[in-house]
Amino acid sequence: MKKNEILEEILNEVEKHPEIMSRREALKYLSVSPMAASILAGATIGASSVSASSAKGKIVIVGGGLAGMSTAARLNNTLSNADITVIEPDPTSVSYQPGQTLVGAGLWDAADITYNRDDFLPSGVKLIKGSVTAFNPDSNSVTVDGSQEVTYDHMIIATGLMLNYAAIKGLDGVITSSGTDNASVKKTVGKDGVHSIYFRDGSTATWEGIQELVAKAKAHKGPEKLQAVFTHPNTPIKCGGAPKKIMYLVNSRLEEAGVRDKVELTLYPNGGKMFGVPEYHEAILQQYKDRGFKWHYAHNLVEIDTKGKVATFNHHWTEKGAWDEDLEEYGVELKSELVEVPYDFIHITPPMKAPDVVANSDVGSDKGWVPVTKETMRHVKYENVWCLGDVAAVPMGKTGGSVRKQYKVVVDNLVASMEGKSLPSKYGGYTVCPLITSIGTVMLAEFDWSKKPTPSFPLDPTKERWIWWLLKVYALKPMTIHGMLSGRA
Amino acid sequence: MIKQISTIALVAIAAIAFTGCSGEKKATEVKTYKYSTTEVYEKSCSKCHGLNGEGNVEKKTPALNDRTAGEMAQDLFDVKNGGTNQSSGTDHEIMEHNMQKLVDKGFDYDINSMAEYMSKLSKK
Repeated sequence: MKKNEILEEILNEVEKHPEIMSRREALKYLSVSPMAASILAGATIGASSVSASSAKGKIVIVGGGLAGMSTAARLNNTLSNADITVIEPDPTSVSYQPGQTLVGAGLWDAADITYNRDDFLPSGVKLIKGSVTAFNPDSNSVTVDGSQEVTYDHMIIATGLMLNYAAIKGLDGVITSSGTDNASVKKTVGKDGVHSIYFRDGSTATWEGIQELVAKAKAHKGPEKLQAVFTHPNTPIKCGGAPKKIMYLVNSRLEEAGVRDKVELTLYPNGGKMFGVPEYHEAILQQYKDRGFKWHYAHNLVEIDTKGKVATFNHHWTEKGAWDEDLEEYGVELKSELVEVPYDFIHITPPMKAPDVVANSDVGSDKGWVPVTKETMRHVKYENVWCLGDVAAVPMGKTGGSVRKQYKVVVDNLVASMEGKSLPSKYGGYTVCPLITSIGTVMLAEFDWSKKPTPSFPLDPTKERWIWWLLKVYALKPMTIHGMLSGRA
Repeated sequence: MIKQISTIALVAIAAIAFTGCSGEKKATEVKTYKYSTTEVYEKSCSKCHGLNGEGNVEKKTPALNDRTAGEMAQDLFDVKNGGTNQSSGTDHEIMEHNMQKLVDKGFDYDINSMAEYMSKLSKK
């Protein structure tokens, strides 16, 4: 893609919402801003160099989402004798998932985030349009659709994860974010005030749900407020900020309609804090207080009555237990109770898990996720198996921003291992959460395993800024779609 | 809001944006521990989880010798940090409490080193 095409794409996005920023203003900032120039450069000529290698070997990549396809592209750029096969059943696997928040809030359409796998298959890379149904790492092969054996010298696992709606009593379905086999989930999610932006169809329905909530609030009389409830489960999740982003955006839409005072907004997260990084935790708490949000920690959604509109949470806590001689301290005991919460609107972040085919195979682990040495991204048991993206067992990952760091590490290390060299590249746990705090502002929370802010820019990272809105809403998609998926950015 | 555009911020951002150096930590912190990994295990962990990491049914403590180092590193990260995700919480609420007490008593350790040690326990 050429520079002016990308610029045009950014301006088209801007133009859809002149109330936030006009095309003229955006063009002015983009043309005076060297930031725009560097984004365009990143998407077209490559922000980091790839050294050529003549190493040989058959590489199979299981999964052709953002992680798998970007890795295929970068390997393809690197290896002069590339023999790469991607196995991916979903024709829209490379769709831009971070945009689902914006679709949910009515800022984008599903068409803005839907991209076709086949358009992004790098030249020369083979594609098998099927699903891996068995991993046989001891014989260096995978089985596709129950019958076809595909052998490899090196395998990269990038299957992504499953949205486990069925784990909540009253809901059904275990699906991917862009798959269309989601009828079981849509029986209960996407209507009657029950919404979820974590799958693409669900994000479209969420915008309808928000508009219904606004209409209901406008008609609402009496002192009792309508209840908007937002959940966060007890499993690792992709995009850990999204449960809060959609809350901030619902808040924006209610304010815009002048009915914010009619609705109570409450977050029920399973955990006991807003964010793992203390600085961001404190910043979010302040944002919640400023907006009059409520929150109740240690509540995990376990059941929902979609007819009666009641959500049931497992509320858990610890109490002082008996004296522990070995610990030389008092221990703690776990306590829990079920709490019923009536709702008018509920946003569900589903529990998430590794695909069963991964979890139940030798490449999986006791918790399902693929165990890798988190710095090198190499499988802990199989030296010719690598893993990245949502299915990898690395702490705090599961974002496109993590993948942007991980795929370079995987390519560097895989190529080095093919050349018989020691592994040169280490992942430090970097991830990024552009936390949308209103329509027009974002807090760019960047951090790594040190659990400290790791800002890329010399600005206070705990502040909400419109410049990050520009980055999140207008720049990251072209950077991802044209930069990462071509293996460059 | 748009009017508040700061030229300084834009120039600063442009200087760093997307050049491939973003996000990597420059400074390396060297942390020192009071006890070696072996000492921490033998003086503290083993009291409840057994010298071979076999666990203790009576104390309801799990075995530690049934996982690879990579899997154990995940669990230790979860325990020491109260979870590996933003608001998901931890799978180890009791041990999160205990670990904090033990760290306060000086039984702190490097996660990778301890995971490696534990993964070899059953093979001793």
